[in-house]
Amino acid sequence: MTQILFKGIDTPNLTSIDVYEKQGGYAALAKAFAKEPDEIVEMVKASGLRGRGGAGFPCGLKWSFLAKDVFPRYLCCNSDESEPGTCKDRELLMKTPHLCIEGMILCAYACRIETAYNYIRGEFEEYGEIMDRAIAEAYERGYLGKNIMGSGFNLEMYTHMGAGAYICGEESALLTSLEGGRGEPRMKPPFPAVEGLYAKPTIVNNTETLCVIPFIVNNGPEAYAAIGTEKSKGTKLVSVSGHVNKPGNYEIVLGTPISEIIDKFAGGIRNGNKLKAFIPGGSSVPMLPADKVDTPYDYESLVAAGSMLGSGALIVMDDTTNVVAEVLRITSFYMHESCGKCTPCREGTRWMHQILLEIQNKVGKPEQLDLLTDICDNMSFKCFCPLGDAAIAPVLSSIKYFRADYEELLASAKAPVA
Amino acid sequence: METTTQQDTVTLTIDGKTVTVPKGTMVVDAAKTIDIEIPVFCYLEKLGPFGCCRMCLVEVEKMPKLTTACTLAVNHDMVVKTTTEKVVKAQQGMLEFTLLNHPLDCPVCDKGGECPLQDNTFKFGPPDTRMEYQRQNRDKATPLSPVITIDRERCIACQRCTRYSEIIEKDQALVMLDRGFQNRVATFNDQPYDTRFSGNVIDICPVGALTNTDFRFTARAWDLTNASTLCGHCGCNCNMTLGTRLNEMKRITTRPNDAVDDGWICDKARWGYDFTKSKNRIQKPRKGDETLTIQDACRQVAAGLKKIVEQYGADGVGFIGSGYGLNEELYLYQKLFRTGIGTNNIDHKTYLDTPGLPVPQWDLPAVEAADLVLLIASDPTEELPILDLRIKKAVTRLATQLVTLNDQTTLMDDYATPSLRYNIGSDAAVFSALSAVLSGQPGPGLEATGLESGQIQSLADTLKAAKKVCVIYNPAGLTGASIHHLKQLLSVIGQLPDTECGALPSAPATNALGAMDMGVLPDFYPGGLPLADVAASQKDWGENAPVKPGWTALEMIEKARSGELKALVIFRSNPLVDFPGGAAVLEALQNLELLVVHDIMETETSRVAHFVIPSNGPGFDEGTTTNIGGRVQQRTRGLVSDNPHDWKIIAMIAREFGDETQYKNVFDVTAEIASKVNGYAGIKRKAIRREGKTRETIASVNGRLPEAEPTVADVAGSLKLRVADFLFCHDKILDADSHLAHQFKPSSVHLHEQDASALGVKAGDEVTVFAEGWSVKAEAVISNRCNPGGVVLPKISDQQGVMGLIHPDHAVQWVQIKK
Repeated sequence: MTQILFKGIDTPNLTSIDVYEKQGGYAALAKAFAKEPDEIVEMVKASGLRGRGGAGFPCGLKWSFLAKDVFPRYLCCNSDESEPGTCKDRELLMKTPHLCIEGMILCAYACRIETAYNYIRGEFEEYGEIMDRAIAEAYERGYLGKNIMGSGFNLEMYTHMGAGAYICGEESALLTSLEGGRGEPRMKPPFPAVEGLYAKPTIVNNTETLCVIPFIVNNGPEAYAAIGTEKSKGTKLVSVSGHVNKPGNYEIVLGTPISEIIDKFAGGIRNGNKLKAFIPGGSSVPMLPADKVDTPYDYESLVAAGSMLGSGALIVMDDTTNVVAEVLRITSFYMHESCGKCTPCREGTRWMHQILLEIQNKVGKPEQLDLLTDICDNMSFKCFCPLGDAAIAPVLSSIKYFRADYEELLASAKAPVA
Repeated sequence: METTTQQDTVTLTIDGKTVTVPKGTMVVDAAKTIDIEIPVFCYLEKLGPFGCCRMCLVEVEKMPKLTTACTLAVNHDMVVKTTTEKVVKAQQGMLEFTLLNHPLDCPVCDKGGECPLQDNTFKFGPPDTRMEYQRQNRDKATPLSPVITIDRERCIACQRCTRYSEIIEKDQALVMLDRGFQNRVATFNDQPYDTRFSGNVIDICPVGALTNTDFRFTARAWDLTNASTLCGHCGCNCNMTLGTRLNEMKRITTRPNDAVDDGWICDKARWGYDFTKSKNRIQKPRKGDETLTIQDACRQVAAGLKKIVEQYGADGVGFIGSGYGLNEELYLYQKLFRTGIGTNNIDHKTYLDTPGLPVPQWDLPAVEAADLVLLIASDPTEELPILDLRIKKAVTRLATQLVTLNDQTTLMDDYATPSLRYNIGSDAAVFSALSAVLSGQPGPGLEATGLESGQIQSLADTLKAAKKVCVIYNPAGLTGASIHHLKQLLSVIGQLPDTECGALPSAPATNALGAMDMGVLPDFYPGGLPLADVAASQKDWGENAPVKPGWTALEMIEKARSGELKALVIFRSNPLVDFPGGAAVLEALQNLELLVVHDIMETETSRVAHFVIPSNGPGFDEGTTTNIGGRVQQRTRGLVSDNPHDWKIIAMIAREFGDETQYKNVFDVTAEIASKVNGYAGIKRKAIRREGKTRETIASVNGRLPEAEPTVADVAGSLKLRVADFLFCHDKILDADSHLAHQFKPSSVHLHEQDASALGVKAGDEVTVFAEGWSVKAEAVISNRCNPGGVVLPKISDQQGVMGLIHPDHAVQWVQIKK
């Protein structure tokens, strides 16, 4: 079992800097400071690490997109983990905050950044406090502040608590929120690497992504690239939830078949039931039927199977499930979390919810399936930010694979009361 | 040259048509230039791209997804398609979403007939909706302020209004609150949205969500008669459309003219029109209590004036005009008094000023083109609001630097680097010192100014380093004769080797510049022609044209009191409230044998006049005004009164004095101005019809610098007074019934904390300001609005009587404050 992030994660008091150092923590700093910043960027590129927040964009490439010679520039660690089904960053923040700090320091050094923020989901109040204590310890040890370990490199680090909005996990909305504005996504281009926080070049990386950096610096990019598949390198934290015996976060090597994640890691389907459907990468990606369960869990294979790896949240549904209930629940989430900026997302999510509610309550009409499909088409790639596309994924995929579930509810629909 | 052009433009194809537009243009605007309409709701060129309504989706070759034409800048060889099946489906889909929860109450909606949502639905929308549920119920008809009503059901959350508040007003007073389908346009804590420019959100709202409370349900848009006219309040002369129905005033909306208003008007322009239907209007001419016909009134006034001239000579009569009259009216009045009566006792103001500039007159857009704006003694926010927006735009969105040089703190200081504050009354010393540093001469000491030599030196360096300096100054905000020092400073800046300099003389009155140009001055003929030049060549004004300097307005009051002036014609001015001198002004006016008041509203002055003649004023009048940028524009009438136009009345009086000129219409007077007034040669009816036209710079004949700098010795226990103008002043124009009454502020006096503590005055204390045997009650505000040793007293109403505190000698006024 290859573990990079979760190695020793349950060591008592790992949140304290002493314990973390004893495990080899912060050792990567000296190694990094001995190199030129650009060398670190090259290492990350060579490692093949891809963004773990959802889009899977090559991490080193993102760093190299920073506008040249424009300062100050900023790093924002995206700890606004809000994707339904996802709880991996929470575990990292809760149990190993120093890993995140170390990763952020390495990124900041590589990208010549002197100010870093950790934007933490509003509901994670407790982990924000853990993070604050950890940052204070890191300052005390001289890992943060001026002239870190005599390297001449300076870095100030702050945590910033969100106010409880899913949309602030979208990087440009996160930046607006961090600036004190209303959490609404911004127009792209300009991308954050060119004009981000306070209109300056900014790196926004997911917590998990940054937590991988110390391993790459310590062990070299080759060590990381040796793990996983050809294009999906390394390990991935997967949050398994739903109808499994042992829901939880598991670190898997990319390319592990989903069936193995469900059976070996998560203890199999509850009550010996059969698998009916699963959502491989959080509520924003299309759900898949049981016959795709042997798909390897990596970026390419999941796209080929018609879904995405997303944030790595595997939601498992057994054969007692009517997926319409799940789709209604997810749609309700998107309706609630739509920021309201663009028309199709604001209106479309609510309309879909109204229709799904009728179907679920057995007062729907058969033609509503075509209507739902068409609403999705009118939203598809037409919304301001990806939230709208995320909202249609479960609806479209459920109609595609589980039309029977809808038809069952529609068939038993009572004639509306006059 | 050609290569530059190619670099600065981009050629692309839209629906098969080739179009070349400047680099940076959005596709939606490029399409507009070739008459291809891409529908939008959220996009407004002035606000920049935003992309939230998703209405303008188009197909672009080589782009996999549809893209919003309002956020996409043009690119070379881009191929855009706006009518493909995919685009049409997207447009119909967006409109279906947009209308999903829209109440569709078009039959009773004020926007009906001029609604982009209606228009876009008609042109691009689906024929029907598939929405089967109860539409979302939201707050209907909710006051956002006393003058704006919001209907939250109709709002489509395009954020034009909130972005206007953020980007243009720079207030963020109006914001989006709440999330998703519950989001709404609102203010913090539901406080009223009552900024100075709030009304523009009504015009830019693409649906009937933001409505004019006064106009709601009073007329349909298509039933209005619209007059393209100008605002008659401040010196910006913003363009606006006056909508009337059956000769009744209904509403005022913006009529964008980028050279003047940049598409916006202030709330005083929009709602400050109740005077057009006020009961306080002068309806008929009268002599004492006896109502006269216009003809009889003109004849009798002329006869009265003639009698005085015969008895006491031409200099026994005088004329006090105003910066609120039209060019034609003011021109004809000065012509009547000079050529008909034979006196130079002509003036229109209580401050000192001379016509013309030693540097080029610049127009308002120069603020954006300049790299440095030097704002002197001016408070645009209160005096010339649209200039405030223009400066904020230049500073925050373009590369302009603002420097303020003033004796009081203004809201503009927030945008200034640096903002320099001199002591009240020390303006002459400051201007002289700056001129001296710029020209390398020894200058006066700065002891009494409150500024340090380093600050003056650094300002001089900034001026020298700047390529284009735009100086904006308010002559009415200066003390003593410092206008002469200021003009000398202008000429010094104008001579800097690497600096181009232009200026905007920015007195607050509507037509202050026009009044100067029209020669409503005791010592200059129209076009800044000095008396000496008139004497040299009397071809324009006749052999009998008077060349002896006349009395200024304040001198005329004094001479009326002493008995040397026997008759006075006052046009659109209210000396009893607006002139310094207190009780002496009433004494003077009552001492006159003949007092004629020609005005719109009954005033304190009209009530003591022998003859009162109605003036039409904004809304009813027609003619031209010259704004602070020297732009001459045409005001057209939207309303018809029972009385003849003012220019006709003046011509009727002139006829009694032998002026037989026949004017068929007001433009015959304009044409005469063009032929006789320097700088106005190109001002023809056709040339000014659309956007106006700037008149030529009028060369300045600099007044002589006073030999000694005014010494401002401290007066023990007294403070120097600065009267400030407030935009919403409870006067005859914005009376108690005004829609803007909620903007009236209580009488307040702004003290420096040092003086306040010396006087034992605390914030909120009721104090009395004393001077010249006069007193004004005010609430103390400890705001450090001016340097220690001074107080700022904003003029907030006619009742307050601020001007009574001032001695009419132009010098610094000392006042005492008592609890």
